[in-house]
Parts: sequence; C-alpha cells; structure tokens
Amino acid sequence: MWKKMKTWLDVRIGLNDFVRTKIVDYRIPKNINIFYTLGFLAVIAYAVQAFTGIVLLIYYIPHPDHAFKSVQDIMAKVPYGWLFRQMHVVGSNLMITVAILHMITVFLMGNYKRPRELTWLGGGISLLLTIIFGFSGYLLPWTQLSYWATTVVTSMPTAFPVIGDSIALILRGGDQVTEVTLSRFFALHVAILPPIFLTFMGIHLLLINRIGISATPFGMVDEEKRPLTEYKRKTHPDGYPYYPVFFQKQMYMMMAYFAVMFFIVTFLPNLFFPEEANLPADPFKTPPHIRPAWYLLAPYQLLKLIPNKFFGITIQMILLTIFLAWPFLDTYQEKNVLKRPILRGVFIFLLVMWVVLLFWGRNP
Amino acid sequence: MRYLILALAMLFALPSTGTAGYREDFEKEFMTKTWAGEQVEENLCISCHASDKMKPEFKETVDAWKESWHAQNNISCENCHGGDPKDAEFAMSPQHGFVGVPQYKDVPEFCGKCHIGILSHFLESGHGKALKASRKAPNCVTCHGSHNIQKASIDIINEQQCTKCHSYERAKIMKVALFLIEKRIAQLEQNLQTLKQEGIYPEADEKSLFSTQAEFRTLFHTVDVNLIRSRTDEFTSKLDVIDRDIQATYRDLRFRKNFSAFLMLAFSGMGVIIFLLSTTKRD
Repeated sequence: MWKKMKTWLDVRIGLNDFVRTKIVDYRIPKNINIFYTLGFLAVIAYAVQAFTGIVLLIYYIPHPDHAFKSVQDIMAKVPYGWLFRQMHVVGSNLMITVAILHMITVFLMGNYKRPRELTWLGGGISLLLTIIFGFSGYLLPWTQLSYWATTVVTSMPTAFPVIGDSIALILRGGDQVTEVTLSRFFALHVAILPPIFLTFMGIHLLLINRIGISATPFGMVDEEKRPLTEYKRKTHPDGYPYYPVFFQKQMYMMMAYFAVMFFIVTFLPNLFFPEEANLPADPFKTPPHIRPAWYLLAPYQLLKLIPNKFFGITIQMILLTIFLAWPFLDTYQEKNVLKRPILRGVFIFLLVMWVVLLFWGRNP
Repeated sequence: MRYLILALAMLFALPSTGTAGYREDFEKEFMTKTWAGEQVEENLCISCHASDKMKPEFKETVDAWKESWHAQNNISCENCHGGDPKDAEFAMSPQHGFVGVPQYKDVPEFCGKCHIGILSHFLESGHGKALKASRKAPNCVTCHGSHNIQKASIDIINEQQCTKCHSYERAKIMKVALFLIEKRIAQLEQNLQTLKQEGIYPEADEKSLFSTQAEFRTLFHTVDVNLIRSRTDEFTSKLDVIDRDIQATYRDLRFRKNFSAFLMLAFSGMGVIIFLLSTTKRD
C-alpha cells in the first residue's frame, strides 16, 4: 500500500528525484555548526505564531469594548485557550530573539558577503517585519500595558519634522490611540503583514536555494574569493549529507526551542505579563512607568537621550540603512571576523550599546 | 554603490545637525510631559485650588484628595460638591448643582447621594437619631474623615475613636461580631490579587465580593449587633461561593502548570533522544 502510494506520487511529481536531490544527495559543508539551524528555527517559530494566531483569531474580537474581555475569555473559558495565547505571546518574543541571533551569527561568519547580498537584505527586511508584527500585535489585547506602550511607540515618529505628525496620525487614525488604531493594527497584524512577510521569507529561502549554503570561514578555504562573473551554485561535494546529519541538528534545535518555550510558560508565566497586562486599557489613567516592548527599548531610550529628536531619529535611520546595506558597503574579501579586529570591535561596541540601552530603557 | 549609500546618509545627516534645537518646545513636551496620546481631563476645581493664589487650607484639600480612595476610583470634586469643573463661569454655580461645603447635620445626605444603602441604615441607627437631635452626635466625617478618605476597614472601630463620644464596650462587641466576615473578605481580596498577578482577571468574583462587602458594611451602620449576628450565616454562604470559584481557578492554574511542564519535559526528552541518536550515527 505504502509502496503503491510512493509510486503513484513519484510518477506524477518526481518524488524520488526530489528526495534524492534535495535531501539524500544534498551536501552541507563539513564545518557547519549549530548556529546554521537558527534560520530554520525562525521558520518554525513563524509557523508556531501563524498556527496559534489562527486559533486566537477564532475567539478574539477587535473592538475596545470587547477586545480585553475576549482575551480574558480565551485565557479562562476557551479549552486550552491559555496554552495557545501563552505560546503566541512567548513565541513572538522567542521568534524575534531567534531572528536577531540568526542575523548576528550570519554577520559573524561573514555569510552576508557576495554573492549573498540580497539574501542578507531579505533577511534584514524580514527581521524588521517581525518587529512590526510584534508591535502591531502588542495593542490587540487592549490592556493598560498594550495601550500605553502603543501610545509611546506611535509618539516616536513625531520626532520627524514636517511628516512626523502625519506618520503618527496615519498609525493611530487620530490624535490618540482609539478603536480606529485597534482596527488598523488588527488589519496590519492578521492581513497585511503575513503575505508581505511570507513573500520576503520565500525570496530569502529561494535565494539560499539558488546560491547554495555557505561554509563557515573558520578552518576552511573560502572559495568565494573567485571573481564573480557568472552564476554558479555553491555546492559541497565532499561535505556531509543533509539527511541525517544536519536534519538531526535542526530537529534537536527545534525540540530545544519548544522546551525553552514551555519552560517559560511553566516557570515564568508572567515574564511577558506584568501587572498592567492584566488590566483593561484606560485612556484616562497613565501607568507610572510606561515603556515599549523590550525589542523597541533601545531605539526608544536612544530617542530619549539625544537632545534633538530629529537628530535622534536620523541616527537611527542611518544605522538601519547601514545594517540593511552592509553587504554592499563591506566589500572586503576576508570573511573571518577574527581576522578583522576593527570590524569585530565596532560590532561588539554596537552590541554592548544595544544591550545597555535596552536595560537603561527598562528603568523608569 | 557604497558611495551612493554613504552620500545619501550624509545628505540625511547634515540637515539633522543643522536643525538641531529647532523644536525646543516639542523636545520639552517629549521628555517631560506625559506622552502625546494621553487624554487629560481638565478639572478647574483642582487647577484653581492647587494654585498659589489659594489659601493654604484650601490647597491642602487637593493634596488630601489625591491620596484618597475616592481619587483612586476616579471620584472627583464635582461628584460630591456639584458644579461644572469644565466651565470657569459655572464651576461654582448653584444652577449647575454646586453645593459647596455641607452643614454638619447635612453630611449624611451629602455622602448618601452615592452611599444610598448606608444612609438609610445610618439614619435609623443610634448615631443617626442622635445626629437629628444634637450637633454633638457623629456624622460620616467623624469616623471616615473628609477629603483624605481611605478605604474603610474594621480598624476604624477603635478605642481612641469611639471613646470620643461614649465607652468602648459596645463598640468592641460590634467589632468582634464583624471580625470573622471582615477577615474572610480580606483573605478573599488577597486571593483575588494573587490571581491577578498570575494573569487572571477575576472580574465576576471581584464584583461579587465588592457587592457582598458593601452590603455587609451597610449593615454595620445600623450599629445593631444582634442584626449582624443574625445575618452572618447569610454573608458566609455568599463568601463561600466566591471562595469556591477562586479555589477552582487555583486548581486550573495548577493544571496549566503541570500540563506545560509535561510538554517541556516531552520536548526536552525528544531533544535528548535526537542528540543521542546523532552521536551514535557519527560514531
């Protein structure tokens, strides 16, 4: 029966050929490490968000009079609703963490270098979209935390002269965060962002497939120093087979991802639910310490520190542009970051600054 | 390409430095005031009473109110004193219901506009009857204070307070009669607070407890020990219902913890198995 089914599929879609070329004969570099699984992990994290998000969507009502109540009902009345919501909330934070770690490791291993400039760009834009996902979803439970965090974040674009107020107005649909903002953010979160994100992720994965997986710069001769005059897919004929060597690594990391997720749900269930997250939004009562979600704390703190707001937002825009366009700016051929002390120093400095600003922004 | 990007970045950066400080007012607002989206309700009573032109004793009322249970529950000046806090012309106009400071004897009716049940019980009580007869008898302010009114508790009944007018003996018997129910209410309040910290919003139980507590305290204002004793069972059973609800929620929370711990262990176990399998293959 099983054999018949396989044959039925093989003669129609070339299943055996697909399995042989993409899984069994597909070779990966010998010095590949566990960090190479982070991209796969980000895809899994997104899938978890999509699945749990669809479950929540069945019960959630995007209206200020019902949003908080519907979320409370999901937590208390819907069978296992609490599990899906916890997975969605914890998963959103883990997804952003995994995406950031993925970008950091790709940077450290120099895998953004030619011919992978577009792959980096696609990944960078996907990371930004992930953050917008988190930011737009933050408002939906309509709690004190989500309401005031959104008020803070939608105030940030007002630092732009001339167009700043208009950006804030478009985001909020008015001067304040209201039911119009909730509708906009809901549409953004469930209908506008997913197809855009899937497109970029698809392009990213297509590019990885077309260009081929790159080796780490540690302990191997980097073949990509050749002049780039014609398309050539990077292959590793002497490498390990994808299945089972790398596949096992991916599965192992996936299990670790879920273990971490359920560790947080079990032992730190309130990590992403401070007191304000359990109170309905009250536009007339400002909580004592309002701040955005952790992934927006660094830009928020930087904006607060720099005396001129336009200058503050300009610096952030420049840093963002440099981040996205880095493969085009860094044309130096050496991939190994250990052999590039200045780049290494600047990177560590920026990373430390980001962490410092993040913790600084947490304080009232 | 990189020169193009650098040039664009420079073009963007230069005007920024050139315009540094051009939005000083915005800067001050951004850094010091509450965020742009806050919807602030204008209250002329507060702004006028808090201003420097006001006598110190009038200024103190605003500070006292800010610390009060009323302020925490968004009960503002006009809710008690009437008037229009949004219109300077009619802020203290009798046409807009302004009553100012009530006469000593009128205080129960003044507070009873909202605390209706308490008013009727108070007027029937010894305290209420005495107030009708004499100005020396206690009114609401005698025990609860005026602007800095705190959340009522059993501690209001104390020797220092009661012996201002009469001996403490009778009040003490009353306090003992109230004690068990009050203690239970405090415990349930604490449990509800814990549930909130656990991410549960127990709105129905909170409302039920609030109404039970309010009803019980209304009863207290009759100052009738026998009445309180006779109705204690009724209040106990009402609190039992709330307690059962809370305990069920706690059980549910324990189940959630166990279930997610099971999932954590299951995924950890699968991770370990995969790791061991991969090690075996390599060997």
